[in-house]
Amino acid sequence: MDDGHLLEIRDLTKHFGGVVAVNRCSLVLAPGKIYGLIGPNGSGKTTLFNCITGLERRDAGEVFFRGERIDGLKPHQVAHRGIGRTFQIIRVFPELTALENLLVVTREPFEVAYRRAQELLRFVTLDLLENEYAGNLSYGQQKLLEFIRVLMRDPELILLDEPAAGVNRTLLNELLAAITRLRDQGKTILIVEHDMKVVMGLCEKLFVLDYGEKIAEGPPGVIQADPRVIEAYFGR
Amino acid sequence: MRWAVLAALAIGLLLLALYPLVATGYGIRFMLQLFMWVALAQSWNLISGLTGYVSFGHVAFFGTGAYAGAILVTTHGWHWGPASLAGGVAAVILALIIGYPCLRLKGPYFAIAMLGLNEVMRVLVSYFEGLTGGGSGLSLPTLHASGQIYYAMGAAALAVTGAAHLLITSRVGLRFMTIREDEIAAEAMGINTERYKLYAFLLSAFVPGVVGGFFARDQGYIEPISVFPLLTTITMIVMVLFGGKGTIWGPVLGAVTLFVFQELVWARFLYLHQIFFGAIIVFVVLLMPRGILGVLQERYRLPRTI
Amino acid sequence: MGVTITPTMVGQVVISGLLAGALYSMVALGLALIYGVMRVINIAHGTLLMLGAYTTFWWFRLLGINPYLSLLVALPLMFFVGMLLQRTLVARVVDAPELSSLLLTFGISIALVNVAQLTFTSDVRSVEFLTGAFLVGPFALSKSRLVAFAVAVAITAIAFWFLQKTKLGKAIRATSQSSEVAMVCGINVHRIHLYAFGIASALASAGGSLVAVMVAIQPEMGQVYTFKSFLVIVLGGAGNYPGALLGGMLLGLVEQLASLFLTTQLSEAVAYVLLVLVLLLRPTGLLGGRAT
Repeated sequence: MDDGHLLEIRDLTKHFGGVVAVNRCSLVLAPGKIYGLIGPNGSGKTTLFNCITGLERRDAGEVFFRGERIDGLKPHQVAHRGIGRTFQIIRVFPELTALENLLVVTREPFEVAYRRAQELLRFVTLDLLENEYAGNLSYGQQKLLEFIRVLMRDPELILLDEPAAGVNRTLLNELLAAITRLRDQGKTILIVEHDMKVVMGLCEKLFVLDYGEKIAEGPPGVIQADPRVIEAYFGR
Repeated sequence: MRWAVLAALAIGLLLLALYPLVATGYGIRFMLQLFMWVALAQSWNLISGLTGYVSFGHVAFFGTGAYAGAILVTTHGWHWGPASLAGGVAAVILALIIGYPCLRLKGPYFAIAMLGLNEVMRVLVSYFEGLTGGGSGLSLPTLHASGQIYYAMGAAALAVTGAAHLLITSRVGLRFMTIREDEIAAEAMGINTERYKLYAFLLSAFVPGVVGGFFARDQGYIEPISVFPLLTTITMIVMVLFGGKGTIWGPVLGAVTLFVFQELVWARFLYLHQIFFGAIIVFVVLLMPRGILGVLQERYRLPRTI
Repeated sequence: MGVTITPTMVGQVVISGLLAGALYSMVALGLALIYGVMRVINIAHGTLLMLGAYTTFWWFRLLGINPYLSLLVALPLMFFVGMLLQRTLVARVVDAPELSSLLLTFGISIALVNVAQLTFTSDVRSVEFLTGAFLVGPFALSKSRLVAFAVAVAITAIAFWFLQKTKLGKAIRATSQSSEVAMVCGINVHRIHLYAFGIASALASAGGSLVAVMVAIQPEMGQVYTFKSFLVIVLGGAGNYPGALLGGMLLGLVEQLASLFLTTQLSEAVAYVLLVLVLLLRPTGLLGGRAT
């Protein structure tokens, strides 16, 4: 079944004990766009990411990527299908150097991988630090490293979990420019973000989660005016 | 620089190869045991230093290899060389059987499962008396082969150190390390952590098994408590932690330093010596987590790949 | 093999299993507490049990007073030893990768075991007290096991009352739920860690005092209890305190049942197989997850 969707989630549900983290959530991503996933704290955004990437096992529902069912796959299998992600809390490999952090994630021949890694390091101006342990880099640098590590595998779909959190203005602008450029190259990006300015400026379409349920979707302007969304954020 | 290092290594190896020509019997036995500890420490490093999965029961592979080798020698008349290699294979098979389930366990669960494994192996070996002689042990036919065992142990130490070198300087080794660094991130980045953990584990079981076979031949007599002592695992761990886990030369450095120290000073004070081992572990974990080599690397900004 | 198993034998096994199980539960509760509040598996737990057993042995040897009274000394003593260990060593690795705490407590365990070897020698000791058994119908109830059971149940009950009802106990449970939330609620998490380690050490040493009357005492006796306590908290679900009770009983029963069908030697391996099976099939323990 290939209907032009890149990712399709159908009725995804995930419980933790008695708590519903994601409840019958469905959404569709078309290729080449930047999407945002927003909602109050604890509304299930990260859990949804984890279910897509196989880090959590969903309780019910289906996930399709390029028409292939991927729920039930292990995380590394999902990654091989072409989905990359970053984490809310930085997860670089601290006792590997910046360069090694990149080299280790691909299976391409060494020379190809090396050249690509160098390019990416230059791209985020980390090239002078390539032999530094990732754990010794500053917070912002680690964040950039984690971001380019995702690009190392050249994924079709990139899931970014709060890329703007804790990043200074200059760095943020670079990051946003990089994300837009990726979109222009045809990549699809799904962003979880609390910074509304970032979300509104960057995303073409938003999904709003509240208590694990998708309560709204649409272009940023429409979402901003949606009473349900306003209630979810400010109502209680 | 690179050539100087290689030349120094070559000369060192040559000297070690010629050593038996001039050595006393004690000298040979000393070096042979030193090689054994290098091989064991380095093997533990492959699983625990690289992937961070701490094995508290690595002596189980040593003991399994010792028994497999000794049984082949005594009841099937094998030469000790092939018998010891078969001991290595037996250890790998054991690692496969328990590694498949146990490596799915996270950190502490794996460590304690391995602690239990050693106990179980000792029990099993004592129980199947027909094959192993039970508690009364197994005697091998008399044979004076110290010279040959010297070279065999040396080759084992060299082989596993070579393997550590190949791994640590390659992307396969880096993948092992991502498991230690952050297993979840490694998976999300497309690394099949289960498979790499198993590879590291099998690799780390083989040489202890082989060395166990050599040890059985060298001692001429083995019993459950002589080849499954917790102390052997402890010694491997202390050597690696002390020298520097996850490095190529750290385990060698640790094994040499501590073994020499042990022979010269501590052998007469068994319990004090073990208290000292416990203290080293505590000290290294709290104050020097990368071991001696790690400290040197940091101070002189040496590459990690030494 | 070849022996017919009668209902009486099964009954006897169930009784023995429950008697042993209560002791396992109490000791394992200590390990569970430490794991619960700090996410540290204390490899030295059995070592602390061994120290409790020696306290009882020396108490009885030197003073000649009822060994069970040594609990009054051993418990507070080991409570402080535990706090001291936590304060000086373990506290430094609570937030470090779990590899650090595993290795650290392993190192502590090696050092303590060998200090015991050095000071107490490796001679096997025993406390000759309360021997023999009550005969109840067809069943024989070993006196020392019965006392151990009663004391273990009492101590475990006190521990649970403490966790449920007292302010400190509630703070400990809150910390096991989430360190961050506990901290935000104004709980001094470091102090909680200190008390938890102290209480855990006291529980382990109580186990040592009770087994001292039943089994051979020697410096390396603790390791098997570390392993069994770990098995118990795995059975019950790590961090699940009531689960530790159930797990202990279960382990006692399974061990005794196994000894009915297998030799004693092999029944030790059964505990191991059980551990691996549970970890594989129900990684969150039989009761599942962490208690709320």
